Amino acid sequence: MVRYILGRLGRALITIFLVLSIVFLLMRLLPVDGYFEGRTDLMSDTVKNVILKDLGLLDPWYKQLFDFWRKLLLEGDLGKSIVIRKNVPVARLIWPKAMVSFEFGIIALAIQQLVGLTAGVLMARHKGRLADKLGNLYILLINALPAAVYFLAIQLYLSSVLKLPMLYDPINTSSRILPIICLSLGGIASNAMWMRRYMVDQMNMDYIRLARAKGMTSGQVAFRHVMRNAFIPMAQSLPTAVLFTISGSLYVESLFSIPGLGGLLIQSIQRQDNTMVQAMVLLYSVISISGLLLGDIAMMICDPRIKLTKKGESR
Amino acid sequence: MSEYKFTEPVLTVKDLVVKFNLRGQVLTAIRGISMDLYKGESLAIVGESGSGKSVFTKTFMGLLDNNGWIDSGAIEYGGYDLTAFKTERDWLKLRGKRIAMVFQDPMTSLNPLKTVGKQVQEAFTLHNKVSKEEARRRTIQLLDDVGIPEPERRYKQYPHEFSGGMRQRVVIAIAMACVPEILICDEPTTALDVTIQAQILELLKQLQARYGLTVIYITHDLGVVANVADRIAVMYAGDIIEIGRSEEVFYDPRHPYTWALLSSLPQLGVKGEDLLAIQGTPPNLFQEIRGDAFAPRNPQALKADFVARPPYFEVSPTHKARTWLLDPRAPDLAPPAHIRHLRTLRRGGIEHAT
Amino acid sequence: MKIDRQPYRPFFRRFKDYKLDKMQQAFRDAEQADPAEISDDLFEFAGHDIMDAERIGYSNYSYWRSTFQVFFKKKVSVFLLAFLVALLAFTFIQPLLPNQKDPYRVYNDEAGKTLMNVQPNEEFWFGTNNIGQDIWSRIWSGTRTSLFIGLCVAMSNNIIGIVLGSIWGYARKWDKLFTEVYNLFDNIPYTVLRMLLMYIMRPSLKTMIIVMVLTGWIGMSKYIRNLILIYRDREFNLASRCLGTPSRRIIIKNILPQLISVIMLQTALAIPEAIGAEVFLTYIGLGLPVSIPSLGNLINEGRRVMLVASQRYQLLYPVLVVSAITISFYALGNAFADASDPRNHR
Repeated sequence: MVRYILGRLGRALITIFLVLSIVFLLMRLLPVDGYFEGRTDLMSDTVKNVILKDLGLLDPWYKQLFDFWRKLLLEGDLGKSIVIRKNVPVARLIWPKAMVSFEFGIIALAIQQLVGLTAGVLMARHKGRLADKLGNLYILLINALPAAVYFLAIQLYLSSVLKLPMLYDPINTSSRILPIICLSLGGIASNAMWMRRYMVDQMNMDYIRLARAKGMTSGQVAFRHVMRNAFIPMAQSLPTAVLFTISGSLYVESLFSIPGLGGLLIQSIQRQDNTMVQAMVLLYSVISISGLLLGDIAMMICDPRIKLTKKGESR
Repeated sequence: MSEYKFTEPVLTVKDLVVKFNLRGQVLTAIRGISMDLYKGESLAIVGESGSGKSVFTKTFMGLLDNNGWIDSGAIEYGGYDLTAFKTERDWLKLRGKRIAMVFQDPMTSLNPLKTVGKQVQEAFTLHNKVSKEEARRRTIQLLDDVGIPEPERRYKQYPHEFSGGMRQRVVIAIAMACVPEILICDEPTTALDVTIQAQILELLKQLQARYGLTVIYITHDLGVVANVADRIAVMYAGDIIEIGRSEEVFYDPRHPYTWALLSSLPQLGVKGEDLLAIQGTPPNLFQEIRGDAFAPRNPQALKADFVARPPYFEVSPTHKARTWLLDPRAPDLAPPAHIRHLRTLRRGGIEHAT
Repeated sequence: MKIDRQPYRPFFRRFKDYKLDKMQQAFRDAEQADPAEISDDLFEFAGHDIMDAERIGYSNYSYWRSTFQVFFKKKVSVFLLAFLVALLAFTFIQPLLPNQKDPYRVYNDEAGKTLMNVQPNEEFWFGTNNIGQDIWSRIWSGTRTSLFIGLCVAMSNNIIGIVLGSIWGYARKWDKLFTEVYNLFDNIPYTVLRMLLMYIMRPSLKTMIIVMVLTGWIGMSKYIRNLILIYRDREFNLASRCLGTPSRRIIIKNILPQLISVIMLQTALAIPEAIGAEVFLTYIGLGLPVSIPSLGNLINEGRRVMLVASQRYQLLYPVLVVSAITISFYALGNAFADASDPRNHR
């Protein structure tokens, strides 16, 4: 088991290295305007060159890459913001926002799992009947419509119907309700769909027949066997989900003016702060990769069937 | 002929009709079966795939698929009429406790994500209120009874760590957990190697002797039948067309289908001659069947076979068959050479439980 | 539930004895007969041809016919299909109809004042926006643009996906390599990647299509590759080859139907996804320039004025159109996927 974990960890590190390098090099293609606080027309070429040189952007790409890794690993330096807060280290700007996103995200995650999985179970038990049809309709709508549409609808109509504020305000707790609802919708749909499909598949399996022949009620069967089994594949996606709560939903945060990481990313893009954009993309990538790694490890721990040496398979 | 030693009926089926709804069409899987099951015997139900063997026994436990139902008839067991059971609660009085089932494929019968010990123990604790240690102790005892070596260690292992034969033993252990009255084995050895088959059958015979079980074997393998059965019921197209003690059915079969079935055994083939195969395919059960279901495939069918369904004609108190050939007016028809040949093979008789 | 009451007629036609036919009807199924009711002359051999038993009815199953049968059985699908076809037809015919306005033109009234934010009336069926442009024509123009994007993306993804996916699936040597590359790309969240690429390449119609294809082809390739892995070694293909079926027929009869279903499904689902992505990118500011009307742009513009109740129509109509299109495509895609699964054929 240890060998597997080490192997997986190694692969994850290599992936991080490759991905970050690629992203870093991609960022070199960014239009240079992003480094000048947007006031390019007022600067002469010499001034521009000085700034670029200072930032190390005129060096050959391999030197830049090397410097980047050196700075990151040895000094923990991700660069400084250019537009958003001039010359403030990126990390200091990111951290508090990440916490805000996390707060929203974790609550939404909890709701998604609880409501979604319960809904999935109900839909499977009442397959073909009203509960199932309603559930499927909900899933259809969530998947088909662009998120913008129902987020806007919620922001506009639900706020007037339920008398909830439309924008987030740290003091007013009830202002969190609408954003959390928006954040949960997609997750509820996917959890419900997955759980329903899983339960329906398992219900037709032989070992379920045996369990019933033993004398278990279908409720006991559903709970003790099917749902217990369902948690194994879920274990794989859970770490990723948790980690992604930090990144926050770009859309929702922007819509409700929540000062989270997602909003920060959008701001950085809209205001063309290259260092910020670069740092955050790196962060997202690291989050994504670690999530997958942890998920694989979690699954391996929970599933007794996975043995020691599992060759790398694509998901 | 000596008397049949099992005489007390423990389960009685009367004119059972089972239908299924497949995509809007109705299929009659069981077309009116009546039979008695005697306490302590081994009954083998043989037939082709699709003859309704599994469906028939599933009705005893209420395990019919959702799209099937009992259309008419009665099943009497333990003072209950099983066809009147409506809710799952009713069935829970019986399932696992008094009637248990062993399924065909041990690979998929066990939950891969739970330890074997837990699964067997569950069968026990569902019906008995005992402490955890007591349940565990009993489970290990059970695993030992079915012949699993090192039961203590195996208790904690997962199904994928067992071989096929071992897994089937586990399934048998689960079925035996509450020492049921009736044990139904649905093709218990089909998915196993030949060498393991013998072991499993031996185990089942031992358990039957020890606990006085009534066992129903569902199989299409006549070799298994020869090994274990006291009585044989031959099913075709949802009906039992011949039923009798095993030596009667083997050495004195009366229904043309039984002849054909026995004749198609490769062991009975004569070197140099073609192997006998039964022409045609079983009838479409979506349509109503008139007369004898086997008639279209029977080169020696009587006209009456196409007209009306024959009733049971008795050959002996324990042996009857549904064929017009047994009517006194029917022409004398000798069974094919292979069957007569089989009789001569009976030197000391085939060893079986009777 | 119709119960088919067909006795064994085929065998009876062999007999000259039609009396038997009538007699048979006297005995119902599942009722065994009393021997006394059977007359003596019936105890003769029937002498029928048992080879009749071998002649199983030939089944004229046609994959596509069954697919369409199952599909059209659901009234909802039929309705949605008709609706979508009508909607699409209208989208493209609209400019040719009389009295249609130019989506780009700024309309002024007689006094020269720009007709901004006019509520829907007889002249401007969906009203005007805050620049004075006619929303009705902008919506249809935007729909055309968005559909165009969606189709381009879907087609490109399909082509690249099929080509690469097939190579990936068939060439066992390259499977390992491709899989590693895939894993690599899988780790970068595609939303961020899209944003990044749009940021770098500067938003325009062309770049949007390119960006979406760049993030989309991988998914399609993997899907095709999985399908090929499943079907390549399926026994029925092997059996066909052993029987000497020419490869062309194998491909046409076994693989192509599968492929076509997949393509249609993916296309139907890709269009709502493309529209969704476009709306999202536009919202962030990385979408199409405002000069090109697109559904994303329209929704965004509408969003800016949604707080003013009188101007909410500017959001409402684009949202309605987007919803209609995305829901229809998605639902139809799923319905078709269900219908083309042979397990759902009767």
